[in-house]
Amino acid sequence: MTAPRHDGRNRAILALDTATSRVVIAVGSIDGAPLGVSYRLAEHRHGDHLLPAIGRVMGEANVRRSRVEAIVVGTGPGAFTGLRVGIATAKGVAHGLGRPLIGVATSEALIEAAAAATGAAPATILLLLPAGPSDRTVCRLGEPPRLLRAGTEPDVTPDDVLVAVDLDGRAPADATARGAAALDGIGEQLLRLGAERFAAGGEDMLATLVPEYVTLPRGITASSGEVAWSSDRR
Amino acid sequence: MSEPLILAIESSCDETGIALVEGGRRIHANVVASQVAMHAATGGIVPEVAARAHLRWIVPVLDEAWAASGARWEDVAAIAVTYGPGLAGSLLVGINFAKALAWVHDKPLVGVNHLEGHIYAAWLLDLEAPDAPDLPFPLVALVVSGGHTFLVEMRDHLTYRLLGQTVDDAAGEAFDKVGRLLGLGYPGGPAIMAAAAGAVRHDAVFPRAWLGDTFDFSFSGLKTAARRIVDAARRDAGLGDDAAAPLPGDVTAELAWGFQDSVVDVLATKTLRAAREVGARAIVVGGGVAANGVLRDRIARGAEGLGVPLIVPRPALCTDNGAMIGAAGARRFAAGELARFDLDARPSLPLAPR
Ligand SMILES: [Zn+2]
Repeated sequence: MTAPRHDGRNRAILALDTATSRVVIAVGSIDGAPLGVSYRLAEHRHGDHLLPAIGRVMGEANVRRSRVEAIVVGTGPGAFTGLRVGIATAKGVAHGLGRPLIGVATSEALIEAAAAATGAAPATILLLLPAGPSDRTVCRLGEPPRLLRAGTEPDVTPDDVLVAVDLDGRAPADATARGAAALDGIGEQLLRLGAERFAAGGEDMLATLVPEYVTLPRGITASSGEVAWSSDRR
Repeated sequence: MSEPLILAIESSCDETGIALVEGGRRIHANVVASQVAMHAATGGIVPEVAARAHLRWIVPVLDEAWAASGARWEDVAAIAVTYGPGLAGSLLVGINFAKALAWVHDKPLVGVNHLEGHIYAAWLLDLEAPDAPDLPFPLVALVVSGGHTFLVEMRDHLTYRLLGQTVDDAAGEAFDKVGRLLGLGYPGGPAIMAAAAGAVRHDAVFPRAWLGDTFDFSFSGLKTAARRIVDAARRDAGLGDDAAAPLPGDVTAELAWGFQDSVVDVLATKTLRAAREVGARAIVVGGGVAANGVLRDRIARGAEGLGVPLIVPRPALCTDNGAMIGAAGARRFAAGELARFDLDARPSLPLAPR
């Protein structure tokens, strides 16, 4: 009889993404191979059962909490509420386990997943994501995401492969079909990219990680350094 | 640790607060990262920015509180977290962070009403302070801040009867708006108090909304009147339409005094009348505006006349902080009121049904 290839004694990675219409929970080996991936419709209540669901996915993959070596979280861009819930949860889990937190842009995981699903090169993929009810976000590998106001279209060259996630009716049908395929692969890509960064000694972002916002209210900068501290126990 | 230690998390508005409180009273650590300076640039809170800052600072705040307390996870009996009222996006950060910590460390989770926290700040004791007896019931509590203004009667722990509340703006909001009107900046409370201290004549008269013999409050009329009075003062000073030209310092001081006098008069008068009517054995004042020394002195004089103690926490415990959530959370925990993992943000959570 052979022992199972992965069990609770092996080192594992836990990945989480709440930036899209789905809650994605993935558990993998330390080298990023998936051991269990769960996709659930978020339905705007990402926070309700996230932790019990994480526990279930880990249990089904036979991975004990003490064996989790790193937490990977999708940083967006995406829905504000989902991102807050996902990142706050990931920070609490990482802090509680005393493990590093590794941020991976949700857009990067989606582009890699679309490439894997379509056979296209990641650099040719032009990813569209919803940004509120009418705007969209354009993402390309290695470039900062850009906001696309309602009524404007992205510059698409003949070599580009358009992938539209969560944009049914707001993008061409073939692009939304590729988007659905990309969503199905996001868990695997988060694990793979997270494992790569972890192995390369990537920075622990537990203390500082914030979501990727494409838009901020007028007059606001993304700087979040201006807080005043008080520690009092007089 | 002789009594349960509660780890408490507060993120309902624009301060990220984490504290360790023993037995609902004794503060072992109380760390707050305040975004007030950040929001001063925009003249107020931008919810999107506030939520992001909570996410940015929550781990450093926890680490700092942890280090300050010297506590170990074995010592922690439960994790308490504010679940409302407040800004939904800000609340979600604290709630989900607390849930994850509770999940990993297998600790019970307790949901706390932020308003209840402001009241229970009155029970807090600093680590080195001598023991103090429990507050006597019934008591009357006034909570007055940038988001809330209300008066309740407590006949026992966790038992509230709402006596009155603001029908429009919170008192702290009026301070912010009039502070801006007078060119004193944001937040308005401390700025107006400082400016008012320089007043000499004390003859500026601002209206008071008494709302009959109810214990309700209204500050929107006062705000409108303040605009009219400030405009008139600008004309008298010959400033005309030059919006950038500041009023003379002595005029600003008199107006700041007159405005503050109106707010303090209404808050103090109603609180003292409520204390008399319910036969209160103590008066508690909490919330950011309770840090106003003039309000405190005015209620203190009246309380002395009634022969009842007045408890106003020190300023750092009046403004939003984690320790007050630990104080209230300990009572909820002792009452066996545990939250589950489906605990959700309640932006309009009331303290007590009317
Ligand atoms: Zn408050």
